[in-house]
Amino acid sequence: MASNLLLTPIFQHIVLAYTALFLSIALGIPLAILALYSRTLQRIVMTLSNLMQAVPTLAVVAIVVPLIGIGFWPAIVAIILRALLPIIKNTWIGLSSVDPAQIASAEGLGLSEWEIIRYVRLPNAYPAIFAGVKFAAILANSVAILTAMIGSGGLGSLVFEGLAGVNMMKMLSGALPAIGIALFLDASFSWMERRLLPRSGESGLE
Amino acid sequence: MRKRFGETVAVDGISLDIRGGELLILIGGSGSGKTTTLRMINRLIDPDEGSIAINGIDTQTIDGIVLRKNIGYVIQQIGLFPHMTIRENIGLLPTIEGWSREEIESRVAALLTLVHLPPDQFMDRYPKELSGGQQQRVGLARALVMNPPLLLMDEPFGALDPLLRRQLQDEFIGIKEDIGKTIVFVTHDINEAFRLGDRIAIMHEGRIVQIGTPRDLILNPADAMVSDLVGSDRLFEHIASLTVSDMMVPASSIISGDLPVQSAIEVMIQSRSTVAVVRERAASFSVLLLSTLLQRRDEVKTVLEATDPPFFLSMDVSLLSALEEMKAASVSLGLVMDDGEPAGLLLPDDLISRLV
Repeated sequence: MASNLLLTPIFQHIVLAYTALFLSIALGIPLAILALYSRTLQRIVMTLSNLMQAVPTLAVVAIVVPLIGIGFWPAIVAIILRALLPIIKNTWIGLSSVDPAQIASAEGLGLSEWEIIRYVRLPNAYPAIFAGVKFAAILANSVAILTAMIGSGGLGSLVFEGLAGVNMMKMLSGALPAIGIALFLDASFSWMERRLLPRSGESGLE
Repeated sequence: MRKRFGETVAVDGISLDIRGGELLILIGGSGSGKTTTLRMINRLIDPDEGSIAINGIDTQTIDGIVLRKNIGYVIQQIGLFPHMTIRENIGLLPTIEGWSREEIESRVAALLTLVHLPPDQFMDRYPKELSGGQQQRVGLARALVMNPPLLLMDEPFGALDPLLRRQLQDEFIGIKEDIGKTIVFVTHDINEAFRLGDRIAIMHEGRIVQIGTPRDLILNPADAMVSDLVGSDRLFEHIASLTVSDMMVPASSIISGDLPVQSAIEVMIQSRSTVAVVRERAASFSVLLLSTLLQRRDEVKTVLEATDPPFFLSMDVSLLSALEEMKAASVSLGLVMDDGEPAGLLLPDDLISRLV
């Protein structure tokens, strides 16, 4: 019974944070790619993304309520608004900071725009994208605690209820798993980064 | 293959024929339009006016991507992809085109061998593990992977140190013979142009000032700029590319063998020549030195008796080898024959004053 009481909020929290994170990736990377080819879109995306970072997280969560109400999906929107920025920004920087000689030779070889993105720009951007996604995952995890205030459920509910009722055990039962998840995220992303990122001969002996 | 160029800001009304199988050099200073011209050939840049045709087909009617896949392209910065192995770099286009793993493997191995990199040592290395010269060879191999009939090279050896550049040029001359492709090669290095080019187009301010073989440019520079660039006033620098016909003195007067000695002397003095060609019979010639004739004017009755046997040379023999032959035979005078008739005389003494 006690374990069920804890498992359900953990499960809710993970679903909340990861749904928002995956939607942010699914939204952020294509937007960053499109921003490569449209100056207007690039300006809009970058301005909005930077703006979102300037607004306090609590205000982002609060502003969602009058717009789309409370519950799971408004909470997802609030997390996405927070997590999108590092993904878009890092992806765009990674994609656009490719050595011009590589782009020139790819064009000369006869690669199409899409092939240049797929075979040249994206591989070059992987480290930056990865760093952005890792940062976004940790942001999503922390915002998912706050969104309990707008009815998302999850570990945040335990934290807020514990705070309100001065129930230290309840508060910690929400806070500790959230910290654990954050540490796990950080470690697992670092591990994936080492495993998945292409090496380019600088890493020395292998 | 025929190409015509219209106008762009950088290239101002160029018309140019590139012949199948030749290596055409585009040379000029920065801003002369040579790179722009090159990039218009594979439509990285489209001309504002005019057209480019390859084998009679207007390139504007071909999709740029398809066109570029069939034209090799090598740039000075090489632009190998650092996240891919050498195998993946060279095999990228075949991979996109859906070749099988074995086909790609054998093609990559063949190309690496062609550019003098042992495949088993280099296939699975990354570009950063290679020296600049090795990287540029991989760049060339990558450009050749789809076996394009035309190869565009934009200062490929420009970033290498002089010693390595020279070595790669030598290798490239060999590779060029092996692959037998039409090559357009941009450079700003006149020595490179002379070493590699079949023909050289000299560009200045978006125009082609002169186009021709290295010998054309050296011997008949169109203007002072060309003459200065190719060093027409320092012919000795180009001695290796000169032939006998470039440096011979035309045989202006041919004296008949039965001419009286006195008349022969008069003819030679009048024409200010110290040497004359003497026709003994229909197709038999010898040479006559004015000095010999003057010395022996009293002992000989006819010109024939004062002549020396000729040392024959042909027109298109390289000047250096002709001089070596003459030195070996201890003769100071060569009779240059063209199609059985005397065309001119090669006089080493006179040569030196013309070379320097």
